[in-house]
Amino acid sequence: MRALVPALILLAAMAPALADDEDAAALSLADQTAATAEQSGDWRVYAEAAVRESRRQGPGLALHGARASIDARFDKIFAPGWRAVFADRLDMNRMDGVSGNRDVNTLKEAYLSWQVQTDRVADLGRINVRNGVATGYNPTDYFRAGALRSVVSLDPASLRENRLGSGMMRGQTLWNGGSLTALYSPKLADKPSDSVFNPDLGATNLRSRWQLALSEKLTDALNPQWLLSGGAGQSAQLGLNLTALPNDATVAYLEWSGGRGSSLASQALGGREDAAFRSRLSSGLTYTTPGNVTLTAEYQYNGAGLDQAGWNALRRGPPAAYGLYRNLVANLQDPPTRDQVFLYAVWQDAVVKRLDLTAMVRHDVADHSRLQWVEARYHWTRVDIALQTQLNTGNSGSNYGALPDRRLWQVLLRYFF
Amino acid sequence: MGILERFAAWALLIASAGVAAAAPSAQAILAASDAIRNPDKPFALTVVLVEYRNSKQVDSNTLTVYSKADPNSGQFRSLIRFVAPARDANKLMLKNGNDLWFFDPASKASIRLSPQQRLLGQAANGDVVTVNLAKDYQAQMAAEESVLDGDRQNRRCYKLALAAVSPDVTYHHIEMWLDASNSRPVKARFYTESGQLLKTAYYRRFQPQLGVERPTETVIIDGLDPNWVTVMRYSDYAWREVPEVWLQRDYLPRFKPE
Repeated sequence: MRALVPALILLAAMAPALADDEDAAALSLADQTAATAEQSGDWRVYAEAAVRESRRQGPGLALHGARASIDARFDKIFAPGWRAVFADRLDMNRMDGVSGNRDVNTLKEAYLSWQVQTDRVADLGRINVRNGVATGYNPTDYFRAGALRSVVSLDPASLRENRLGSGMMRGQTLWNGGSLTALYSPKLADKPSDSVFNPDLGATNLRSRWQLALSEKLTDALNPQWLLSGGAGQSAQLGLNLTALPNDATVAYLEWSGGRGSSLASQALGGREDAAFRSRLSSGLTYTTPGNVTLTAEYQYNGAGLDQAGWNALRRGPPAAYGLYRNLVANLQDPPTRDQVFLYAVWQDAVVKRLDLTAMVRHDVADHSRLQWVEARYHWTRVDIALQTQLNTGNSGSNYGALPDRRLWQVLLRYFF
Repeated sequence: MGILERFAAWALLIASAGVAAAAPSAQAILAASDAIRNPDKPFALTVVLVEYRNSKQVDSNTLTVYSKADPNSGQFRSLIRFVAPARDANKLMLKNGNDLWFFDPASKASIRLSPQQRLLGQAANGDVVTVNLAKDYQAQMAAEESVLDGDRQNRRCYKLALAAVSPDVTYHHIEMWLDASNSRPVKARFYTESGQLLKTAYYRRFQPQLGVERPTETVIIDGLDPNWVTVMRYSDYAWREVPEVWLQRDYLPRFKPE
C-alpha cells in the first residue's frame, strides 16, 4: 500500500502531460486536413443491383431472383418563387419461376411549386403527402392507400420513400410556429394499371379526396398537428400527431386517427354495412443510448381490423374471402388485425465506422405470427453495400405466416452518381 | 481628514477600481467570447466535418448552417442542410433549443430527434450549430494560467468553470480557456454530470469573418478515445436573412435555398 501511494501521485502528475501529448498529436493530425466544402446539385441519382434467395413456407427449393433499379430525384428553383420537383424509380425484376417477373416504373412525384411569398405556397402535380410521426404504422398517412407499386424492402423507411404520390393541388400558409395546409386530390382515372411506364393515377386517384392540416406551437415542448381528411364515399376522419421529450434521450409520440367508417371486413367482403366510429392509433417511444443506438417500441391499433375471433373465423373460412381481405389491407397499408407490436432498432457506426445495423420485428398479437428483418449496411462515399435477411414465422393463414416467403436473403449494391 | 489621509483614500479607491478593471466578471468574458464565435445578426456558413480514427480519415460531411438568435432567449435557432456526401444531400435538421427535427426530402418524413441522438458521428447535434454559452451556462473564474493553444503556443488564459443553468443543454459543465488579452476562445473541455470528460475542443485559425476575427476551425478530441478526432472547418460566412417561418417543422419540406 505504501508503495502504491507514490505511484498514484506520480500517475496523477503525469495525467495532464499525457493529455497534452494526445492533444498535440490530434492537432498535428488536424493540420493535415485538406478537405474543402463540396457542392450539391439539383439531381440525386443512384443505381442499385440486388440478388436474392428465398425459401417458401413449407418444404421446397430455394428461389433466386435479381433486380436492377435506377432512382432519380430532381429538385430545382428555375425562376424566383418557382420550384420543380421530379422523382422516379425504375425496378427491373427477374425471379425464378414466379409470376411478377416484370419491370415497374414508379413515378413518385412530379409537381410545380409557386412560393407567392415566404409564408404562402401553392403546389400542383403528383405529390407524396406523408403525414404521421409514428415509425411502423401511420394511421394519419391518409394518402398511403394504393401508393405502393413496387416493394423492394419492407423497411418502413423504404416503404415511405418508394411509393406513388397523389395528383393534387395544395395550398399552404405559414406563420411563426404554425401552418395551415389545404389540398384537393381529384378523381383522375377509373382503374389501376400495371403497365410498366404508366403513371398509374388509377392507383392513387380513383376517387376525389381532400385534407386540411393545422399545426400550432402551443409551448416550446408541444407542437401538435391536427388533420381532417375525407373524400367521395367516406366520412371525414380526424387525425392528431403529437411528440414529446420525456428526457434528453427519449422521444414519445402519439398518432391517432378516428372517424365514422366501415370495418375492413365489410369493405372487403361486402355484406352487412357496419359503419361506426373507429379509431386507429400508433404510439411509442424512441430511446437513444449513449452509444447512439436508437431503439423504438411501438403499439399499433387498428379499430377497423378484425378482432381475434373474427380473424380466426376468416382464416378457417373460404380462401377466396381470406384473399380478398388480405388484398384490401395490403393495398390500404393497414394491419389486418386489431393489435400489433413493432420494434425497430438502428445502430449507426456499429462496431466499425460506416457500418449501420437495422433490425425490425412486427408481432401480431391476435395470432402470434412475426416478421423479423435485419439489415447490415456498409457505406463508402458513393457506394453502399447491404445484406438483408427476413424471417416470417407463424401458423398457416396467420398475418406473417401466410406471406409467400418464410426466409429471404438479399444482397444489394447501391451507387450514387 | 488631512491632505495625506484624503490622498490615501483616493489612492485606495483608484487602486480598487484598477483591480476591478483587471479582473472583469467571468460572465462578461464568456459573453465577449461568444461574440467572437457568433455573428450578431442572422447569418449562413458552410461547415466541413472531417473525422479521423487512429490517424486515418474515416468520414467527411459538408453542411450549410443558417442561424438566427431568438429575440426572447438570445439563443440561436439553426437550420442545417446536408450538402455532401451525395446520399445525404438536401436532408435537413432543425434545431431550436431541444426541439430537434430531421427531414428527408426523399421520404418526406419529418422525424423528431432527442438531443442524445447524433447524426454526425462524434459531433453532437449541438456542436455543429452556433451556441451562445453565456445564455446557457453560469461562468466562474477558476484560474489565470498559461495553456497550449490550438497552434501549440503558450497562451495566457482565463480558465472559466461553466455550469449549466438548465438541464436541457448539451453539456452538464464545461471548463473553458479564453485568451486573457482579448477573450478569444482557446480551448474547452466538456463533461457529463458524473464528471466524465466527453470531449476536448480547440478553437483556431482565426480569420476576419463578418467584421470580427473569428475561429474558423474547431478540433474536437474524444474524451475516452483520443485517437478519435473531428475537425470542423467553417467557411463562406455571409449575412443571410433567416425568416421566422423557416424555423419550424412545417417549413422543412419547403426549404430550398436559392
